[in-house]
Amino acid sequence: MSKHPITLTINDQEYSIYVDGHHTLLQVMRDQLNLTEVKYGCGRGECGACSVFVDDQKESTGRKVVDACLALAATLDGKKITTSRGLGKDGQLNEVQQAFVEESGIQCGFCTPGMVVKSTALLEKNPKATEDEIRFGLEGNICRCTGYVKIVDSVKKAQKVMSKKRK
Amino acid sequence: MPSSRILPEFELLLPESVAEAVKLLKKYKDKATVMAGGTDVIVSGTQGFATPYVISLAKVSELDYVKFSKSGGLRIGALATLQNVADTKEVKANYPALYKSAAINGTPQTRNMGTVVGNVMRASPSGDCACALLALDAKIVFQGPRGKREVAIDDFFIDYKKTDRKDDELAVEIKVPAPKKGVVSAFNRITRTTLDLSKVNAAVCLTVEKGVCKSVRIAMGAVAPKTIRLFESENLLKGQKISPSILEAISASIGGQLSPIDDVRSTAEYRRDVSAVLVRRTIEEAIA
Ligand SMILES: Cc1cc2nc3c(=O)[nH]c(=O)nc-3n(C[C@H](O)[C@H](O)[C@H](O)COP(=O)(O)OP(=O)(O)OC[C@H]3O[C@@H](n4cnc5c(N)ncnc54)[C@H](O)[C@@H]3O)c2cc1C
Ligand code: FES
Ligand code: FES
Repeated sequence: MSKHPITLTINDQEYSIYVDGHHTLLQVMRDQLNLTEVKYGCGRGECGACSVFVDDQKESTGRKVVDACLALAATLDGKKITTSRGLGKDGQLNEVQQAFVEESGIQCGFCTPGMVVKSTALLEKNPKATEDEIRFGLEGNICRCTGYVKIVDSVKKAQKVMSKKRK
Repeated sequence: MPSSRILPEFELLLPESVAEAVKLLKKYKDKATVMAGGTDVIVSGTQGFATPYVISLAKVSELDYVKFSKSGGLRIGALATLQNVADTKEVKANYPALYKSAAINGTPQTRNMGTVVGNVMRASPSGDCACALLALDAKIVFQGPRGKREVAIDDFFIDYKKTDRKDDELAVEIKVPAPKKGVVSAFNRITRTTLDLSKVNAAVCLTVEKGVCKSVRIAMGAVAPKTIRLFESENLLKGQKISPSILEAISASIGGQLSPIDDVRSTAEYRRDVSAVLVRRTIEEAIA
């Protein structure tokens, strides 16, 4: 099988690597680049533990969330990728991450890297999301611990903080 | 320990144009799988299904479009994602059935990755956009070594995961007819959770003039080996004033046209019973 030379910019760091055509972004990030904040839950698009942002220069809508387990790394050559580790600036948590800490949206923490990426995306796209929209928007990310109440509370808290900052 | 599901090995090909993709298909035919968003191709891979070659459309940016004009209708390129289509204002305004089938499809992530064309090409009997587009009388445009070919969606689904696509053809776009006066549509489905595949789905598209149904297409999914039209119910409705009694008759006509199965998502009996209600509600929603 031929190897594909690709460049990925992950959390502002550039990686020029060779990948196998049949390797997913999840596999490449965890096994080849040791970026283990991206979690492997189901490997088939159902749990969201592997959620990451992919920037698309073409997309007027900005960055979008994908499941790293469903994307072949070689198809993403030249793309910018952001994981939970890259959400905040200068070593600070972003509003969503901070709210998850304050509202106990984290228990075992396995779903959290995906949840915070997904929640950030949700609030970027729809800053005024209602509780129903938050619940619908978080579908595809499974948490086995919190029962989701704390997670929804965390997103609402982040929403408040972000709207204050905008004023 | 590898920390991901392992896909079978295959050679990944990344053409940069339709012409290049068709050349590869001509060479490899059924030894190659076309991949758009990959949300089905990769999941099948994790179950061990893969051809020696996978042709990704990721770099064929000429297929990344959703275009609408009042006279020409809607054109959806093979790289347009479910989210792109759901976010297109003219889709929501003119094709509510298609809008809903894309907007509720899967999860935010799979909507950002999966394509509408892939949903139809996959030809799963439960495909949501496939059902909506059958009701909307869409056309599929293929490009192959012999040139362009247009297929009416009525002729596309042949049997369980069997379609009219030739193994060297690339689906380049789906066309939906221009909106006409009095045309309404709706889509509904029943699922266990929203991200699950449909237990049953239904879409209708009707032309109504002064309360009378001039033309109608009713499509259902997950109730037969392929997405189907309910011709018997359509004939009951065509030319009639839409009234509670005619809707009653339509409900009663549905069960006999279905051949549902028992599976992990539901039983045949439930599918038959709920379909009668689902189609009526979908008609009511379309004309409301
Ligand atoms: C978690 C999850 C939830 C899902 N939920 C739903 C749901 O609610 N409703 C639903 O209908 N589906 C659902 N799906 C299935 C899938 O996401 C959709 O069918 C999606 O629209 C497929 O598009 P894709 O671009 O990802 O297809 P791909 O995986 O790229 O391709 C699908 C099939 O179509 C063929 N194909 C794709 N593009 C072309 C082309 N241009 N020319 C020729 N052949 C082509 C491929 O060879 C393959 O056989 C779900 C999947 C997952 C993983
Ligand atoms: S590991 Fe990717 S969605 Fe579950
Ligand atoms: S906190 Fe444990 S899975 Fe969500």
